[in-house]
Amino acid sequence: MPAGHPRPPGNRPTARCDAHRACDTVGRVIEVNQLTKRYGGVAAVNGLTFTVRPGCVTGFLGPNGAGKSTTMRMILGLNRPTSGSATINGRPFTAHRAGLRHAGALLDAGDVHGGRSAAAHLSALARSNGLPRRRVSEVLREVGLESVTRRRVGGFSLGMRQRLGIAAALLGDAPVLLFDEPVNGLDPEGVRWVRGLFRRLAGEGRTVLVSSHLMSEMEHTADRLIVIGRGELIADESVAEFAARGTGAAVTVRTPDPAELAAVLTLAGGHVRQDDGDALTVTGLSAARIGELSYERRVLLYELAPRAASLEQAFMELTADRSEHRSAVPAGEPR
Amino acid sequence: MTAARFRDLLAAEWIKLWSLRSTRWLFGLGILAIIAFAVQNSLDARNGWADFTPMERARFNSLNEVFSGLSATMLMIGAGTVGALTIVGEYATGLIRPTLTAVPARHRVVAAKLTVVGTVMLATGALISAATFGVSQAILSGCGVAVSLGDPAVWRVLAANALLAPVSGLVGMGIGALLRHTAAAVVAVCAVLVIAPTFLQPTVHQWLNDLYALIPFYVWRTCLGLPQLRDDPALPTVAGSWAVFALWPLAAAVLTLLVVRRRDV
Repeated sequence: MPAGHPRPPGNRPTARCDAHRACDTVGRVIEVNQLTKRYGGVAAVNGLTFTVRPGCVTGFLGPNGAGKSTTMRMILGLNRPTSGSATINGRPFTAHRAGLRHAGALLDAGDVHGGRSAAAHLSALARSNGLPRRRVSEVLREVGLESVTRRRVGGFSLGMRQRLGIAAALLGDAPVLLFDEPVNGLDPEGVRWVRGLFRRLAGEGRTVLVSSHLMSEMEHTADRLIVIGRGELIADESVAEFAARGTGAAVTVRTPDPAELAAVLTLAGGHVRQDDGDALTVTGLSAARIGELSYERRVLLYELAPRAASLEQAFMELTADRSEHRSAVPAGEPR
Repeated sequence: MTAARFRDLLAAEWIKLWSLRSTRWLFGLGILAIIAFAVQNSLDARNGWADFTPMERARFNSLNEVFSGLSATMLMIGAGTVGALTIVGEYATGLIRPTLTAVPARHRVVAAKLTVVGTVMLATGALISAATFGVSQAILSGCGVAVSLGDPAVWRVLAANALLAPVSGLVGMGIGALLRHTAAAVVAVCAVLVIAPTFLQPTVHQWLNDLYALIPFYVWRTCLGLPQLRDDPALPTVAGSWAVFALWPLAAAVLTLLVVRRRDV
């Protein structure tokens, strides 16, 4: 059994991000160091450095074309870096004979031969790593494809292919898992399931890296975020820290006398912006403080709604000038 | 837990080869067609034997009837296509990414593929060579023209017929690895293995003859596949022909290994 191998399946603890296991956590780390990949003169990935630790779900975020997939492929030894390095277990991945036991990956749900059955596809992968045949039926059951094991993959929906790809990633019971846009094509039940799966895998002490171009997806899944744009690192921090970057935190107030309330709140140190009609957007004051002030000054309130800083907004603001492909008129983008 | 052995990789490639319906159809129909062709040719010869002129009878050789140039063409294209598709099928569908994630040591994947394709093709070629010879001998024995297995030339022809499949299969793999595109690979396999060599004929220019003597189908057609050899410097030698049969798959294997190792997927 290779070093850094997780506990045998069956004994599944619940997800706890803080559960960094003291044992051999070093062996499960993904380390990316000054990683660069150029295609012609264009840098798809440019001097990227980050570390992905075990016990957490790490979201890998960036707009389309930011270099997420290229980075994941370089981590797995599929693409050769122009310079820099990417290692799992401190070793380049290409050194391994049985890769599934060291890292499981779903890169693209379409990466299957449509002429094979789900069972045959997984059997070949399992056999190439000397994994027992029962692992195939185990992972097929785990992803909910046990009723279609004999059907040819060509007839699968995108959601079913995503599940098959996840099954392949789970085959080797690996300590490190990478998923590239795994939620695409999944139905709402599937999205819920896959989030739970990632939490559980991280809870078992594995290293889980999940890429997405949708911030909202990560809000419910990830503990940490690595955000890139145009191949460069933008942020590497916890979800809470990232959200705090957004200018979002504000309170919406509706009142029949906006002018009076605006004066009161400005005097108290708040920053007030008059929205349409009777609504004000207030920053710099908590909802509770606004309520107190309006009570003291006898200003009637219709509505007092705190608005949390949204990850989506923080993401948009950070990546606004780093998107590869952007529409001419950005819709609803805070500038 | 046991580590992955090379035997496991061979088993994985075996599963991949036979889990495709197209492979099973191609092998099944291809083998049947070539044997049926031998049966038909042999029956035609037996039924027409009474009308043959003495000259025709003297020239008749049953080995040519059972496995003609057309059979060889079918076998080479079939084997070459299957060989190419084992590689192209991975690249064109994207399956190569899961495959190489599972086995990052790429040379082992390539070695396993080469071994499985080479072995399966050798077995198929041997089956076809033996079966076509067997049925035609049974049919022609009534005419008294059946050939004897005591003749070493017969064994050479049977061996050359059998080897056409593995040679073509491995060359097909090399072409597939190089082109990585299904239609392009199939066209290239047909062109390189069969169509281009069909137009080659011995000429008065010895340097051209020497060049032609480097082509597998040409050396089979003008040397290895013939029961009676003519002593003609324009024609390839037996030893040289065997060398060509060995070098092409070897070169294809090296090419496949280098290309698969080097390229991003």
